[in-house]
Amino acid sequence: MAERIFMIATILIFLGAAFGVLRLVLGRTAVDRVAAVDMLTVVSISLIALYAHAAGRFIYLDVALVYGVLSFLAILAIARYLERGL
Amino acid sequence: MLELFVYLLCGSILVSGILAVRLDSVLAAAISGGVASLFAAVCYVLLGAPDVAMTEASIGSGLSVLIFLYAIRRTTEKAQ
Repeated sequence: MAERIFMIATILIFLGAAFGVLRLVLGRTAVDRVAAVDMLTVVSISLIALYAHAAGRFIYLDVALVYGVLSFLAILAIARYLERGL
Repeated sequence: MLELFVYLLCGSILVSGILAVRLDSVLAAAISGGVASLFAAVCYVLLGAPDVAMTEASIGSGLSVLIFLYAIRRTTEKAQ
């Protein structure tokens, strides 16, 4: 049962990353690309957390934590840039 | 399974790098560089280097995009 749940989560993470990269490649405006980057960040955090459980090494959760804390910085900078604030 | 994910992440790094070089908009190029750094951090975790991944996530994906955008804003202000 747990194996099947992990497999479903892996497939969903792969689909999320694939569509995020697709939006990044196709994105017409910069805002599309910013949204794709934000989604890819969340997908990456979930992939790291899933791998931490699958490998049984919970030190990897610290990486996911640091990434979650710091990932808003780039999005915030891009938003300030678009609003002529930076 | 792990090798497949590493290969896919390396392909995504390649796509982001090509986008960062080829795109016309400077902002989109900076964003694509940040995405390449993001995938590189996940790749480091999967290859078993969490400390390198932590540094890459904080500096490469966060700070470098901020510095790039600051530099773009300052240089375009000077040009006008």
